[in-house]
Amino acid sequence: MNKILLIIRREYLSRVKKKSFIIMTFLTPLIIAGFYGLIIYFSYKGISDKTDKIAVVNEHKTLTEKLTSNKNVTYEYVDKSFENLKKILAQTDYDYILYLPDFNIDSPKGIQLIGTKQASLTLDGRISDSIEDLIRDYKLKKSGISQTDLDNLKSSVNIDVKKIGDTGEEENSSAGASTVIAFVAGVLMFMFIMLYGVQVMRGVIEEKTSRIIEVMISSVKPFQLMMGKIIGIAMVGLTQFLLWIVLTFSISALAIGAFVNKDEVKKMATSPQISAAQQVQTTALNDSPLGDIQQSLQNLDLGKIITIFIFYFLGGYLFYSALYAAIGSAVDSETETQQFMMPVMMPLLLGYALSLSVVTNDPYGNVAFWLSMIPFTSPIAMAVRLPYGVPAWELSLSIVILIIGFVGTVWFASRIYRVGILMYGKKASFKEMMKWFWHKA
Amino acid sequence: MLSVKNIVKQYANHRALDDVSLKVEEGKIFGLLGPNGAGKTSLIRIITQITAPDSGEVIFNGQKLNANHINQIGYLPEERGLYKKMEIGEQVLYLSKLKGLSTPEATKRIKFWFEKLDMGSWWNKKVEDLSKGMQQKVQFVATVLHHPELIILDEPFSGFDPVNADLIKNEILELNAKGTTFIFSTHRMESVEELCDNIALIDKSKKILDGAVDDIKASYRNNTYVIEYNGEDNFDNSGLFDVLETVEIKDTKRLKLKLRDGFSANDVLALMLPKVHINHLAEVIPTMNDIFIERVKK
Repeated sequence: MNKILLIIRREYLSRVKKKSFIIMTFLTPLIIAGFYGLIIYFSYKGISDKTDKIAVVNEHKTLTEKLTSNKNVTYEYVDKSFENLKKILAQTDYDYILYLPDFNIDSPKGIQLIGTKQASLTLDGRISDSIEDLIRDYKLKKSGISQTDLDNLKSSVNIDVKKIGDTGEEENSSAGASTVIAFVAGVLMFMFIMLYGVQVMRGVIEEKTSRIIEVMISSVKPFQLMMGKIIGIAMVGLTQFLLWIVLTFSISALAIGAFVNKDEVKKMATSPQISAAQQVQTTALNDSPLGDIQQSLQNLDLGKIITIFIFYFLGGYLFYSALYAAIGSAVDSETETQQFMMPVMMPLLLGYALSLSVVTNDPYGNVAFWLSMIPFTSPIAMAVRLPYGVPAWELSLSIVILIIGFVGTVWFASRIYRVGILMYGKKASFKEMMKWFWHKA
Repeated sequence: MLSVKNIVKQYANHRALDDVSLKVEEGKIFGLLGPNGAGKTSLIRIITQITAPDSGEVIFNGQKLNANHINQIGYLPEERGLYKKMEIGEQVLYLSKLKGLSTPEATKRIKFWFEKLDMGSWWNKKVEDLSKGMQQKVQFVATVLHHPELIILDEPFSGFDPVNADLIKNEILELNAKGTTFIFSTHRMESVEELCDNIALIDKSKKILDGAVDDIKASYRNNTYVIEYNGEDNFDNSGLFDVLETVEIKDTKRLKLKLRDGFSANDVLALMLPKVHINHLAEVIPTMNDIFIERVKK
């Protein structure tokens, strides 16, 4: 046991002291916070802060009501002919010309948008919407509805999405925020398992190619060496993950502070109870997309999510890293690993792809259920499902299966490992590896 | 101190060891010889408990070999290496702690050995900055640091320049004088003659020869002599010896001859002394190299 601790210590320290580890650990949260900052910035400013200025040439006889400008598009009605305007467009400060011919009101055709550059899909959509509104209003008015009624018809709806939690309480939740967190969790889980699983494999190959392996296993059992390495690297991963969380939160907090009204944030941060004043502020904030995310973040049980995430990271990592260790033991160099990597990577990639598509669309469906039960895919699938909430029994069952799964792969891998590490110059095949598996000690 | 009894080790498609038995006496240097692929490494791996035999047993100090013996054995494999990115001092410390030494004790011993072998300034160096010979020195230190009773060295001198090879050889002899037993596996027969008390020769998975080096060499004597002389050699050697080869350098002649049964070197001298001036007469004792080649070729 003491020997395993020595091995864990070496594997851990030799990695944590590396420059690349330190750089990765401190740079990544900066990058994440940077992205977060950008998202917030744009959600405040709107995706493009540029307002397109459009000259409208209206030749329609009956449609006299004007298109209303908004913060993205400014309409200016001009009294020139379409043909003339086209020729001098480059000299004017208009970005586009919108040409409304005298079309049939029931099937509008012939409307043109022309500019010095190609109009974006978004702009196209915005203008069509405006014209559609215009035509609708016109038709409604024609059927005798007054302007006041027309204004009253328009209402802005903001749905308050709630979920009844395990305790029967209503919890606010936002599909948007859950999806964002699900994506981040899924990508992180995939990255961690891949990154650290491959590190285990590299470590095993390094011991083999540097020929220290035989010295090592005259002192320790192959199983101790393999587990020491796996656990040591798991701790490196945990260290990195926890540092990332701490750093990302603190840097993000700074970033938010820079964009949101400082007083509001301060008040929100300092008053732990939900006071009436805060209620108002939250409602005020709620109108912006940031407020939405911000509030859902408060409602999601992040502590629980992170704890379960860490469990699945460890479980999934143990499950896969043991297989990676077996691969490392079977080859003489990293270039030989490809044929063995495929079957290990496939379920992981499949789980990743399905989790981020099918599961995020339907987090309680059959696919989501089975993916979160099968230990090959459960770490990623569960990471993705967590923000939406997972029934307790499913979570426990999945955890039990994952534990059985990684005990199984560790056992399986250690039998291949103990023979593989002493094999040099032999080109290993799956058949060969199965022989090692059955080989007596 | 170590006896190997009827060891059989079978791999998927070949038998690496076939009923091999041998005894290593306490305080001796034991040479484990054999051509490539004979089964030496398989045997060493069984003694170091890296693998287990299919049948047969190993007795270490009167006990059946078990996990407690791991710390009493030091092993320097032929395929040996170090962690490239690790500092030397830390690395040797790590390896010796895995053999059960405490940190302060290991540190003290490492300093002692580094001083002794001119490695004083190496503690903070990385392995990748050392030459191969320097790495071998580090590995040697790591092998002996925990004061094992039995040290197994597989080709310990490969990669050493003559000066360092000599340094290591003297360390081996010094440790041996203090009572450490050695198993020494090599292809360099001259170092076997120089160092080993006893040997075992393994070929094609079987032990084909063992015993004390002197006894083995004596048993391979076959009445062959070399004589060197100047002068007219008009003597009649028929009946006394057969000439195996003749070399003439200027007016000096060198004969390799095999005595017939019942005659001794004195009879040769008696025949030749009156006629020629004799510079040199010596019995040709077969080298371990000759014996090795002769036995393995059979």
